[in-house]
Amino acid sequence: MLQCIFLLSDSGEVMVEKQMTAHRVDRAICGWFWDYVVAHAAGDPSKVVVSPTHYLFQIYRNGVTFLACTQVEMPPLMAIEFLSRVADVLTDYLGDLNEDIVKDNFVIVYQILDEMVDNGFPLTTEPNILKEMVAPPNIVNKMMNVVTGKSTTLGSKLPDATASFVPWRTTVVKDASNEVYVNIVEELDACINREGSLVKCEAYGEIQVNCSLPGVPELTMSFANPAIINDFTFHPCVRFRPWESNQILSFVPPDGQFKLMSYRVKKLKKTPIYVKPQLTSDSGNCRVNVMVGTRNDPGKPIDSITVQFQLPPLIVSADLTANYGTVDILADKTCLWTIGHIPKDKAPCLTGNLRLEEGLAHLHTLPTFQVKFRIMGVALSGLQIDKLEVKNTPSAPYKGFRAQTQAGKYEIRS
Amino acid sequence: MAPTVPTAAKSASPSQPSGKSEVADLKQQLRQLAGSRAPDADDQRRDVFKRVISCMTAGIDVSAAFGEMVLCSATSDVVTKKMCYLYVGAHARAHPDLALLTINFLQRDCRDQDPTIRGLALRSLCSLRVPNLVEYLVTPLTTGLKDPSAYVRMIAAVGAAKLYHISATACLDADLPASLKALMLSDPDAQVVANCLHALQEIWTLEAANSEAAAREIETLYSKPVVFYLLNRIKEFSEWAQCTILELASKFLPSDNNEIFDIMNLLEDRLQHANGAVVLATIKVFLHLTMSMTDVHQQVYERLKAPLLTLVGAGSPEQSYSVLCHLHLLVLRAPMLFSSDYKSFYCQYSEPSYVKKLKLEMLTAIANESNTYEIVTELCEYAGNVDVPIARESIRAVGKIALQQYDVNAIVDRLLQFLEMDKDYVTAETLVLVKDLLRKYPQWSHDCIAVVGNISSKNIQEPKGKAALIWMLGEYSQDMHDAPYILEGLVENWDEENSPEVRLHLLTAVMKCFFKRPPETQKALGATLAAGISDTHQDVHDRALFYYRLLQYDPSVAERVVNPPKQAVSVFADTQSSEMKDRIFDEFNSLSVVYQKPSYMFTDKEHRGPFEYSEDLTNLTVGAEDPENVISAQRYQENDNDLLLSTSDKEDSGTRASNGSSTSSYNAPSDLISSQPLVETTPMNAGGPTSSSLSNFSLDDLLGLGVTESPAPLPPPALTLNSKPVLDPGTFQRKWGQLALSLTQECSLSPQGAASLMNPQSLVRHMQSCSIQCIASGGQPPNYKFFFYAQKDGDTAFFLVECIINTASAKAQLKLKADDGTASEAFSTLFQSALSKFGHL
Repeated sequence: MLQCIFLLSDSGEVMVEKQMTAHRVDRAICGWFWDYVVAHAAGDPSKVVVSPTHYLFQIYRNGVTFLACTQVEMPPLMAIEFLSRVADVLTDYLGDLNEDIVKDNFVIVYQILDEMVDNGFPLTTEPNILKEMVAPPNIVNKMMNVVTGKSTTLGSKLPDATASFVPWRTTVVKDASNEVYVNIVEELDACINREGSLVKCEAYGEIQVNCSLPGVPELTMSFANPAIINDFTFHPCVRFRPWESNQILSFVPPDGQFKLMSYRVKKLKKTPIYVKPQLTSDSGNCRVNVMVGTRNDPGKPIDSITVQFQLPPLIVSADLTANYGTVDILADKTCLWTIGHIPKDKAPCLTGNLRLEEGLAHLHTLPTFQVKFRIMGVALSGLQIDKLEVKNTPSAPYKGFRAQTQAGKYEIRS
Repeated sequence: MAPTVPTAAKSASPSQPSGKSEVADLKQQLRQLAGSRAPDADDQRRDVFKRVISCMTAGIDVSAAFGEMVLCSATSDVVTKKMCYLYVGAHARAHPDLALLTINFLQRDCRDQDPTIRGLALRSLCSLRVPNLVEYLVTPLTTGLKDPSAYVRMIAAVGAAKLYHISATACLDADLPASLKALMLSDPDAQVVANCLHALQEIWTLEAANSEAAAREIETLYSKPVVFYLLNRIKEFSEWAQCTILELASKFLPSDNNEIFDIMNLLEDRLQHANGAVVLATIKVFLHLTMSMTDVHQQVYERLKAPLLTLVGAGSPEQSYSVLCHLHLLVLRAPMLFSSDYKSFYCQYSEPSYVKKLKLEMLTAIANESNTYEIVTELCEYAGNVDVPIARESIRAVGKIALQQYDVNAIVDRLLQFLEMDKDYVTAETLVLVKDLLRKYPQWSHDCIAVVGNISSKNIQEPKGKAALIWMLGEYSQDMHDAPYILEGLVENWDEENSPEVRLHLLTAVMKCFFKRPPETQKALGATLAAGISDTHQDVHDRALFYYRLLQYDPSVAERVVNPPKQAVSVFADTQSSEMKDRIFDEFNSLSVVYQKPSYMFTDKEHRGPFEYSEDLTNLTVGAEDPENVISAQRYQENDNDLLLSTSDKEDSGTRASNGSSTSSYNAPSDLISSQPLVETTPMNAGGPTSSSLSNFSLDDLLGLGVTESPAPLPPPALTLNSKPVLDPGTFQRKWGQLALSLTQECSLSPQGAASLMNPQSLVRHMQSCSIQCIASGGQPPNYKFFFYAQKDGDTAFFLVECIINTASAKAQLKLKADDGTASEAFSTLFQSALSKFGHL
């Protein structure tokens, strides 16, 4: 059970303090935590930290640190998942999450936290229900404030969904535009060794649904090739039995945007892009040559390609140029090559020379190249939605499908 | 520690006012607003409240405005109300008298028509936490528990727990726990049920220390009807409440296998939940349920793999690290089950180093015949990593895999390639490994020596690497052509060698070399002994002197001591005991896993989770009689340090022991003696059980033995025990760490005794009647563990006993430690007779 939650700004300032149990956590802990972070975890704030008095859980989102303290043994994931949920709900409520937004809306933040957790135990975390208890600060509200000089950030009546059997959905959804959008987003993690062979390649996918349907709709979705999925997690709305017997997703969706399912596909064989680095060092100089090109054409254009690598520590100067795109050497000695999309007429190539430090003939530590890219319109794992049926709605809704693949940890060793 | 909120810098922003004048100004405005009936008074009030709250958040002391805030609190605006509640909740404790003023409007709000207001008011009322206002709390809570709105009931349930913290008697007198229990078993709203469960767990856990009835109530929570009732409804609950219920279920003891399978079938889909907390709680249930069924337990592991690996890969870095820690624990427990998933543990360049470290350990653990080649290839790639600590770790990992036996041939080649990489830290790490390898596989000496011989000792800066190289030079001086000359060169630079470890090794190596190649080494030996004897470091000095005298006494004896024929080491001492790992495993899905320590090593007993009562008694959870409930922060920090110290020391002594065991067959005496001064020079921390106590240990043991063998042991009946000894848990823990084991014994319990152990407290009381006090107890059927202590009447000497009872076999294992070893035999007899009487009453 959590004893206290703090929201800290980028400079370690306390923006929100929420005490939850009889034991009052002194806010000096934040000062201690901040000093610790500054001293030990520069650039790496996601560490387990034991303070002299409390166990701390922290997550870091857009410059806001969510810090929870406890003195009690508790499941660590419960705390971390809960903090992530708080961050998600706040983002949902406030449109975005950053220091200024939190400061401007701290009254709402307090109200939300009040409903989300009581006496250290998470209570209501479904955004749909929260929104009925604490009204989000929308433009209409703001307008009303200005025009009438009055505002209500609180719903006048209590949500009845706390007792409902579909806690993620309010019983009456009004103003529904009768549409449902399904978006498959995949991240490709790959690791390619210096011989150019694939060490491992996995895809993590999410199916995001944006649903705006009236009443209590019943949705069923099936895949053309469910067998490729290695493991999956579902939103609580998904019924388990139909999936187990027929691999069909059957659910009553929440209103609005939500993550229906996430899945993992192991042992992929094909990567959409190749990066061939060559580094040859000789008598104090190191020749660099990096080629990039498409492979196993995914059928859709690849864009937003960047290649990034850390320059080895023992070099005096670097002189790198590319025949396509721009090359920047950033302050932390990272070389960032922004390619965008691959042109038809030539293969992008980065060439140049690294001067090694005096007395060093060969380069011993070779950099790892991190590649980013995005492909719209295709899920590289090959997962395909077969059909989506919507029942229980007054008229046939509009259904939209999209897919997208981007690079996650896509690394090439040299 | 002062709050380090940079208020000054923020004063420019209107929402971040600072300073005293601001507070005075706010007070002024509030006073004006208090009686105002102006049409816009509500809005103004809201603005001022907002500023007060923002001051409060910024860390400015706004408690001075308490009276004014209360005066202004009569408002119909809900947001203003909420802000007012927040303020009052934060400051009421400091102003108990003024807080009385707020009671009125809160009580009125508790009767409001709108359930939201009723709920909010009740929540705030319970959050005031002012002891002398308790009388006003009971009635709203009792009515709140019966409220038609689920929202209010849910708040009232938590309110009951809050009331218990303010005044336990008020809560119990109003019979709130009984109402909570009734509500928990009947309420249609899942969240109300969950909150009742939370509240009951909290109340009864704390109450259990004082009353047996509460202890029984806790047991009913873990009983079949309650657990099954909750599990059957589990899908109605919110994900967080599901976690609590799953935790409860993991404590449940099914009576037969059918129950186990029922529960597992019911919960299987929870493994697919999007919330990692639910997944891990489910995993805990599965693991605990199947503990006794080995084959099912293995299937469970197989079933868990995919969800865990997915959680690691998805989620934020924070989530994935916590999951990885749990996975790490499971992998180390059952490496063979994960051996085909080795690719999942490959490190990615962009991962933070603490993730890589865990992954390396897992890769090491799961290496077997089928995957060693791939894993070692992968690890070798990391050796050239930019991240030096990870490069080191990977080299060590390669070494560990080599020591695990598989495919040594190829690995030795790889290790030797590392030596050619010509990076100082790689070379140093590799040398240490090659040394260990040679100790285990002397047959590789030929290949290794050839390569090692080419390394210039000048290029190695790190003491550990240098020491390893010197050890090899000494050990294989007959095979290495120029070993004596290299050693001689090293001896010449004796004064520049900063590390005593290296100097010690140098001494021994030169000695060894001397016995193998006397003519070439004689000169160097003289120089070494001279340099060693005049060394300022005590250990070096002593060892040099010892060698010198040994040589003087008889060179052939010296040779037998320094250079005996040696046996290969079969097993290296492990750093973390398997008992420790088991205990961490018992605490699956808790902080222990993340910290990689069992909870008693870092959590204060006062702050154990609500479920810990019947859980793990080995933790020295403290029994009812402990008077001291508040332990200052400093104190447990100290405790923590002690523990850290002791573990690191243990590690040291572990490696030392491994050295000892490896060397025992060839130069045991020298090692024994040389380690003696080491022990003496380690700083004697008052608190930490340093290695000195460990060495006393063996001495004590020897002494103790001598005494028991002596013809006149104390006659047993002479021992009487102090009926009211006093020993606090801290001292107990320290004593337990320091004292040597004076007796271990196994005895049996009467069947009635074993049966009465269903309630461990009864044994505690029984032993108390025999003047033996319990300081900590715990365990789950059939295994219980107790820590007892007793004091000799009219003496300060204590007896400490660890007693592990298995109710199934009705056997008890005793470990006895005593300040006064002579009486331990007598005490043991007394203890056993007391134990055997248990259950007969």
